[in-house]
Amino acid sequence: MGTRRCMVGFSLLATLLVSSGCSGPATTEVAPPPTPAGDGALSVYVVDYPLDYFAKRIGGDRVAVSFPAPADEDPAFWSPDAETVLAYQGADLILLNGAGYAKWVEVATLPKSRLVDTSAAFGDRLIRVDSTLTHSHGPEGEHSHGETAFTVWLDLGLAVEQARAIKEVLAAARPEHAADFEDGFSSLERDLLAVDTELAGLAAEGRARPVLGSHPVYQYLARRYELDLASVHFEPDEFPDEAAWSGLEALLNEHPAAWMLWEGEPLAETASRLRDAGVESVVFDPCGNRPPEGDFLTVMRANVDNLRPVLTGE
Amino acid sequence: MIRTLYLGWRYLVYHRLKTSILVTSITLILFLPVGLRVIVDQSSKQLTARAVSTPLMVGSKGSPLELVLSTLYFRSEIPETMDYGEAAQVADSGLARAIPIYAKFRARGRPIVGTSIEYFAFRGLRIATGRQLARLGECVVGSRAAEAMGLEPGGHVVSSPESVFDLAGVYPLKMNVAGVLEYSDTADDDAIFVDIKTAWVIAGLGHGHQDVSRPEAAGAVLSRDDENVTANASVVQYTEITDENRDSFHFHGDLSGFPITALVVVPLDHKSSAILQGRYESEELSTQIVRPITVMDELLDTILTVQSFVVAGAVIVGLATLASAALVFMLSLRLRRREIETLFKIGGSRLAIGTVMVSEIAVVLLSSVVLAGLLTLVTREFGSAAIRALIRM
Repeated sequence: MGTRRCMVGFSLLATLLVSSGCSGPATTEVAPPPTPAGDGALSVYVVDYPLDYFAKRIGGDRVAVSFPAPADEDPAFWSPDAETVLAYQGADLILLNGAGYAKWVEVATLPKSRLVDTSAAFGDRLIRVDSTLTHSHGPEGEHSHGETAFTVWLDLGLAVEQARAIKEVLAAARPEHAADFEDGFSSLERDLLAVDTELAGLAAEGRARPVLGSHPVYQYLARRYELDLASVHFEPDEFPDEAAWSGLEALLNEHPAAWMLWEGEPLAETASRLRDAGVESVVFDPCGNRPPEGDFLTVMRANVDNLRPVLTGE
Repeated sequence: MIRTLYLGWRYLVYHRLKTSILVTSITLILFLPVGLRVIVDQSSKQLTARAVSTPLMVGSKGSPLELVLSTLYFRSEIPETMDYGEAAQVADSGLARAIPIYAKFRARGRPIVGTSIEYFAFRGLRIATGRQLARLGECVVGSRAAEAMGLEPGGHVVSSPESVFDLAGVYPLKMNVAGVLEYSDTADDDAIFVDIKTAWVIAGLGHGHQDVSRPEAAGAVLSRDDENVTANASVVQYTEITDENRDSFHFHGDLSGFPITALVVVPLDHKSSAILQGRYESEELSTQIVRPITVMDELLDTILTVQSFVVAGAVIVGLATLASAALVFMLSLRLRRREIETLFKIGGSRLAIGTVMVSEIAVVLLSSVVLAGLLTLVTREFGSAAIRALIRM
């Protein structure tokens, strides 16, 4: 009996083993669909403070905006460490200013599908900086680095375009909150255009008055409001050397400006020497990084107030 | 019944050499076609697994098989290139994601694959030690490549010159190992991954050098005027990208014209896939789109055709073997005539004697079937690993 069971079992085992070699044809699989985005707040990383402000105004609670640049560094020339770059990689969206701002982006590994160039819609209106010193080597000929002015948000009309680009990309990522984003954008647009209108009114009065810029960062401001503006390379926290003062003197012969716009408060001695040359100093903060007090809009309103005597002569 | 089986069993054990030869021959004849089918099925699965997970591929016009093999397995020695701008065209279409691949260079025999960060999520690759790529000049290494080259995070790997005799060619680039990937049992284990811009630096399309407008670089200046500085050949170009010189690296020209070897295209859905494939049907385009699984299936059809011939041959040999086995049994019966007569004279019925003979045959056949089945199971269990090892060789 036991032997009979062994024989039956043996036969079944044999059948099983043989049939294991006879399988059906391999089936092909299709690639799985991409994983849809989660339902929590969108993680948004930005490269400068204006974008930080715009994204928060538009997105509200629906977005978690991060701007890791230290408050005491110029975000345009800041270089994040590897860990910070990895944090950017983890974002749902990375908002770029465009126009070559934030050079570190060119040498960082970022997910291209999540990069948003907020200046892409007006790329044809970016200002080329033709006077940049070029260099050449090898057969390629001349080339330069940093050929485009990048403080686009100082043209508040372009700032509105950047905000619109942010709204659209947020709405594409979270269509169920599109109406909220539209409300946030509309509110921001009203505020930006109010400042824009006030600046335009001032500029209409003082358009003919020549003005100096301490640094070549006011190109978009000058174009938007048709200011007669020429720039030098003075730093607020450094006293210019004699060559720089000579250059200013030569420039004043052709461009007799009575005011110089500064990114920050200049040194007292610099302001004093400028006053001796007939040039008063006034701060027009581009607000590329977060201000110690207030926000982007309060800084712009303060800039308008600072510009009033420059353009109206009051 | 048991007694007749016992007699048959004892006969086979007594003539163990003859029994072993018979069992071995029949086992092999049974196993060959079955085992071959298992091997081919597993090979097909191995070869097509990576193709199945890659929906579409865009590359320069030419051999689709060459494009697929070079992109899936990084095997091609001199891959054809196309413009990086193709990636933007695909992405801007809104129909698919496009992941660039630039796999032209090597480091100690291992392929250097320039790509984007999206590649890792697409292939399900995870970091085992260290971290992900973050900046120009860094690399992450596949687990097998890291083990073979003795690499770990913080180490360095240098790209190989394209030609030993090209003294005026591109200088090798020393790259920092940021991380090592987890074992994935794919071709990615043998590769070194870099950002595509780092691959362009290796190609000589991007570089960093002294700031020639600064006084300390005066020795590297050939000529200077108000608007341009021309450097001479002594200008120092960096062969390693460090924290100190990374910001000086730049590219000349429009990046959209820079070379890549392929695009991995991930359509949003089947409709998008069909639309995209339709866009590449024009003869005038210099690029092509392929479905890797279709290309691999065509390759495997060729292999299966060969398999059919081998199986047919095995079947013919098997029939011949079975015929020989039958002849052996028949001759054995003839030689055992006196034994059979003795069994008959001591009272064995014809049925009982016949059962003894049949049981001997049955035990041999059953043993062969069991052994063939065991061999098939072993092949199924370990064949995949053997095939993967062979593919990697």
